[in-house]
Amino acid sequence: MFLTKERVGGLLLLAFCLFYSWKIYDIRMLPFQANQAFTPRSIPQILAILGVCLSFLIVIFPSNKERLNLSELNWPLGLAFLALMSIYGLSVRPMGFLISTSVFLMAGFAMLGERNILKLVLVAVPLVVAFWALMNYGLSVYVAPLPWFLRG
Amino acid sequence: MLDGILIGLATAFTLQNIGFVIMGCLVGTFIGMLPGLGPMSAIALMIPIAASLEPSAGIILMAAVYYGAIFGGSTSSILINAPGVASTVATSFDGYPMAKAGKAGKALAIAAYSSFSGGVIAALLLLVSAPYLASVSLSFHSTDYFALMVLGLSAVAAFAGKGEVLKALLMTVVGLMLSTVGTDQTVGVPRFTLGMIDLVDGISFLLLVMATFALSEALMAIIKRIDESKREEERKAAAELGSMKVSKEEVKEMVPVIGRSSVLGFLIGVLPGAGATIASFLAYGTEQRIAGPEKGKLFGKGSVRGLSAPETANNAAATGSFVPLLTLGIPGSGTTAIMLGALIGYGIQPGPRLYIDQPDVFWAVIVSMWLGNIILLVLNLPLIPYIARVLAIPARFLLPLILFFSLIGVYFVSFNTFDIQLMVLFGLCATVLRLLSFSLAPMILGFILGGMMEENLRRALLINDDSWSFLWERPLTLTILLIAAGCLFVPMLSPLFARMRKKTINAAEAD
Repeated sequence: MFLTKERVGGLLLLAFCLFYSWKIYDIRMLPFQANQAFTPRSIPQILAILGVCLSFLIVIFPSNKERLNLSELNWPLGLAFLALMSIYGLSVRPMGFLISTSVFLMAGFAMLGERNILKLVLVAVPLVVAFWALMNYGLSVYVAPLPWFLRG
Repeated sequence: MLDGILIGLATAFTLQNIGFVIMGCLVGTFIGMLPGLGPMSAIALMIPIAASLEPSAGIILMAAVYYGAIFGGSTSSILINAPGVASTVATSFDGYPMAKAGKAGKALAIAAYSSFSGGVIAALLLLVSAPYLASVSLSFHSTDYFALMVLGLSAVAAFAGKGEVLKALLMTVVGLMLSTVGTDQTVGVPRFTLGMIDLVDGISFLLLVMATFALSEALMAIIKRIDESKREEERKAAAELGSMKVSKEEVKEMVPVIGRSSVLGFLIGVLPGAGATIASFLAYGTEQRIAGPEKGKLFGKGSVRGLSAPETANNAAATGSFVPLLTLGIPGSGTTAIMLGALIGYGIQPGPRLYIDQPDVFWAVIVSMWLGNIILLVLNLPLIPYIARVLAIPARFLLPLILFFSLIGVYFVSFNTFDIQLMVLFGLCATVLRLLSFSLAPMILGFILGGMMEENLRRALLINDDSWSFLWERPLTLTILLIAAGCLFVPMLSPLFARMRKKTINAAEAD
């Protein structure tokens, strides 16, 4: 019964707080700040102490005994979507908005179970083109529509 | 005040701004109706558009989205028993049984009239109280502001659920930690940038909000496996609404409930950290008690009072939460924290000076609340049968679209692909934390207030020659800090007191 939801969360946040505490020493101090009451490190130090204490308290005294049931969740699909978003971020500039976004949406629809290719194309492509036109002509927000090799 | 109202009317009643209110209400209703997406996600999704507008138009648009999303959330609570946000949970107690009994149209109409009345009465209270509070808070020093921010953050603990105090406080601290990333404002030293140039300006507020709300909401829906049979039920419910007429007897029953719940909701909304959820539950409980044994039995089975009370209170509280935002520059809820971030993005510092320096923004927000509520009633209610069809859009199309709008909303502001990668990382962390039952709203509150709190503390120390004595020497600062300490420790110690009282009673009984 050790790994309850709260304890897992507390441990993860404790790790984050410890990492934060460690990184405080990377903040450069200017020579004249040595004896000042308040430096760029002051607030981070207070926060680090608070964060570590609170996460310890959550780990030691969890108010809830509920356990995390990972088997009910579709983790592979969630991770696949995270990868898809990351690839979209990498491709939106070189591949242009129209192609990268259409592919992102079609892949997303397909990953969630849409198997009709015609539907995939008919929902994604007109929507992306309309959105690009609205942003470009309606709100004057320009984003390159075409891939790098087709740009003039 | 009359001058102010006229300024507000002149600003809000331009063709462009009326258009933004209509658009905001419709878009807000549309997004709020989607199960899982609430006002916070709706406002976050609108920030990129609002950023391209002038400040008063942008704020009017976001306020309209806020009301629209609350209205939309009530609709999905009533039709499919799927409250998009906690503040509409109490609405489903009587709204859904009414809908199941074939009176969905009537339930929606009661909810709409109650929301409208709650919003209008609360806007009136805001109109009277905000300028007065703003003029009082003009005498506040940076030390008082620092204390007020501490109060705002500790109030998160006071209103966190049972057993949630430590988690809420920890998430607030995490938000404060994230606010320290970037260049230190006074000395210009980089902090926690991990050597990355993209982090020198700090973490974008919009990025954090989008990742923690819109993105993680969609990811949660993806990993929790979509139940298409339930979606079929939703489609049916959206198609059959029935009559929207409310009888004279029902109106008579609603009027006193609306009066009481509006005042209650507004007062609860004003308290930092309390918000619409507590207001709606409190109003529901109060009305159940007042109704007496006979009418009280109908609560939970489709009672008109049970539906009207939380709907009035949550809208009144939403309006009330603008009081600390507009007068003190401190957000009263997660949603107003997002609006505060947006105002700061415009270069506007909300607080008592807002009333004097930018009266057009201050009054336009208040006047647009009335306008928004009227539009919700006149336009949205008749359109509900059509807007409700959004519930019929298959999740396999909807979820990738939400992800796309979240990512592109952030990208179109910075045009930096690093932001998309950072968003993915935050989206993953936010989803994990939500699965572990850690609330993310306190984190946003901490993130927004963090920078301001540090700045005010530093200024206070500078004025006081690096001495911390201002914490106890200035009576106002000390009073606010004592209230903050009360907010912090009472919820922590109350279970202990309860246990001690139980022990005493048991011992007395044993004797």
